[in-house]
Amino acid sequence: MKRRTFLKSLAATGVATSLTGTGALTREAQARKKIDFGEVKSVRVDVLSETSWFDNDNLKKHMLDYGGAMTNQYDIPWDWDNAGGYMALITVTTLEGKERKILLDSGWNNDWVDYIYEMNNIPAMLKSGEIEFMVISHWHLDHYWGIESTLKHKPDITIYAPKTYYPEDMALLKGAHLTAKNKEGKDVHVCKNDVPHAGKLILCDPDGDKDGIYNPMPGVALRNFDVPILLRVRGENVFYFNVKDKGIVTVTGCCHPGILSLFSYARKNFEGYKPYGCYGGLHITLFETWDPKFDDIIKGVKAFKIQKLACNHCTGWIWAEKAAAAGVPVVKGTDKFKSYKRQSTVATASNAFLTNGDHVVF
Amino acid sequence: MNTTAQTGRKFNYFFGLINLLAVFCIVWLLWYVFMNPNTVMKLYTPMYGFSLVVGFLAAIVLLNNVAGGYPFPESSTQRFGPVQRGIAMTAVAVLLMLLLVYIFFWGFIGKFGIAYFSPQSIIASGGQGAEIFNARENASTAIVYYFTAFLLTALFWSTGFGRWPWQNDDRGVTAWSRFFAVTFFSNIIYILLFHPHVCYLFYPAQDKAGVESWWADLAGTGSAFFGLGLVLCMLFWIVASDLLWEAYPWKYLEKDGESTWAKGLVVLVVTFVLGVLVLFVLMQIMNYFWDEPFMGGQYTDGPDFRFIHAGEICGFFILAAFILKNYFNNFPNIPIRWLRAVIRTVLAIGGGMLFYWFYYSPLATFFLAKVPGIAQPGDTSLVWTILFLSVIMVQADFFEGWPLRNK
Repeated sequence: MKRRTFLKSLAATGVATSLTGTGALTREAQARKKIDFGEVKSVRVDVLSETSWFDNDNLKKHMLDYGGAMTNQYDIPWDWDNAGGYMALITVTTLEGKERKILLDSGWNNDWVDYIYEMNNIPAMLKSGEIEFMVISHWHLDHYWGIESTLKHKPDITIYAPKTYYPEDMALLKGAHLTAKNKEGKDVHVCKNDVPHAGKLILCDPDGDKDGIYNPMPGVALRNFDVPILLRVRGENVFYFNVKDKGIVTVTGCCHPGILSLFSYARKNFEGYKPYGCYGGLHITLFETWDPKFDDIIKGVKAFKIQKLACNHCTGWIWAEKAAAAGVPVVKGTDKFKSYKRQSTVATASNAFLTNGDHVVF
Repeated sequence: MNTTAQTGRKFNYFFGLINLLAVFCIVWLLWYVFMNPNTVMKLYTPMYGFSLVVGFLAAIVLLNNVAGGYPFPESSTQRFGPVQRGIAMTAVAVLLMLLLVYIFFWGFIGKFGIAYFSPQSIIASGGQGAEIFNARENASTAIVYYFTAFLLTALFWSTGFGRWPWQNDDRGVTAWSRFFAVTFFSNIIYILLFHPHVCYLFYPAQDKAGVESWWADLAGTGSAFFGLGLVLCMLFWIVASDLLWEAYPWKYLEKDGESTWAKGLVVLVVTFVLGVLVLFVLMQIMNYFWDEPFMGGQYTDGPDFRFIHAGEICGFFILAAFILKNYFNNFPNIPIRWLRAVIRTVLAIGGGMLFYWFYYSPLATFFLAKVPGIAQPGDTSLVWTILFLSVIMVQADFFEGWPLRNK
């Protein structure tokens, strides 16, 4: 028996369904007017780095030793040598053919971020203003703690970041050296920033500038999802691009709200919605483990008819491989990442990830 | 669960309220020491802490509802007062929890039988994700599910069958017989509702040991949260009928003051049907606020979340029912039985919604160090609810309500 049939048969029992009064809930499911946020000709995403850490077991050991997934990320003396970072360069081609660049996230370990930036000419793009602004997808260590590597080239860059920051997040942005105590009670360096942010800071919330989104350029929408996230983080900013003649493309840091929830939001809210593609971490098997609900996501992605799925980072290699085997149109990466000075210990030869040095065009 | 109406003397509601506040503070202290992710023990990882808390509740239920207090005296005596009895039984419950989790599951069943019950056995088997953090979370998940099946069976048996068919035997025989019956049926429920999920927590899936979740098409998710939600919705009616309805209407099926097989069967069928109905109603309410869930959706869009959330809400109702019974003398005690049952049920649901509001309000950030927001993967209100329930049950059943019932 299918779920809908099951529920309908239950409905026939005449059960009252109006036990409301749940004051803590908000009515989110109401019909909204559809938003037209413009179109772009194409979007290219260059994977600067998707390897936020190199050894899963090392990262998990630190989480385990210092209190698990609900612990404050600033209280864990992470292994600096295991830290990498997540950054992506987004190039939007407007309908007029002009190229405009956006930086998504700023990684974690400054040494790694500097190395990646140099390889991709990011410092020059920041200094010249070719990169127009940056978006901090969320306040997780691997997306944000390397902020100094960006600010030292452009302290006054405009930043879009989630409004749901904690005091340590803002302290780091304004310039700080932060430490955590290890088991022996010693202070261990966890992150630093010696270049205070001097530019415009746009703190994003689900209300957006208008109609729940920020619209920094035609065809580009930034949406904040206020969701609780592990390691005491809250809220994620997500990109939507409306690519002419193709459809909606999402670009995410970690996609904590869920890739299908993103497309569901687009379906409910965007004028002329057509699903097309996605890029980014999809936050599924981030530690390369499994759960039956990950099979649900494979089935769901197929049902949503996403045509081009480019994933990496916290998606998990095993999910990407299993999804590709199940017929999901996963964009394959190359072996370029092998030429980098470090690689993730979980990378496989399947190229199911779009990894460091790869790119995708939508 | 103690269903004796406390109507012998005038109940002091003010003392009841003070007692409730004291219990809340004890729960807060326990959470602060053991669960708070920023303080001492940091056991809320989350599944590891969950397994210990639900293990403690299972130990309480085992001692109280399954064993009927055996081998302790049925009630306090002059030499063995409520405080001494309470301390002794609480200590035994803690030891039982430790024994069940670390010796029985981790050291025995997990080591010599079913590997996924033991983190060490998972690590020893090697392969993808077989390291201590993941291994401990997965083993804890399996243990949580087993205790869930046990709690359902034990509380159902207590309400439905009572002492039947061993009512003419002594306490020891009844305790052991009930224990074997309850664990037998717990095994069946665990195998049907939860084992398939646990087998698919690994990569590659352990598909020779467990089938792919048979409920996936029905529920829109392969997650065992489907079964967990259903079990908790059913448990709400078992608890409500036992505590708030004073075991009516089931009592009409008793013979000479003892349960019968017919009573057990009726309780099983009716509470199952009511459980399915309340699950359906809660799902409809969630659909109203968050639209229909869809397969693969995350956070509030996920069918798996909707099912566990229905269970979490019923958990709040159960907690409120226990509070109404123990700290507010099952208010109101009006003469019309069916009316007082209805009013109490409404009050329990209303009280449960208050707890719902609390858990998802900034207060929980202060008291529990919870990240604001709803549906955080891994975070479940059940851990706090079960800890609260455990403390209430310890006071009500082990300490016989001391000091409140002496007031």
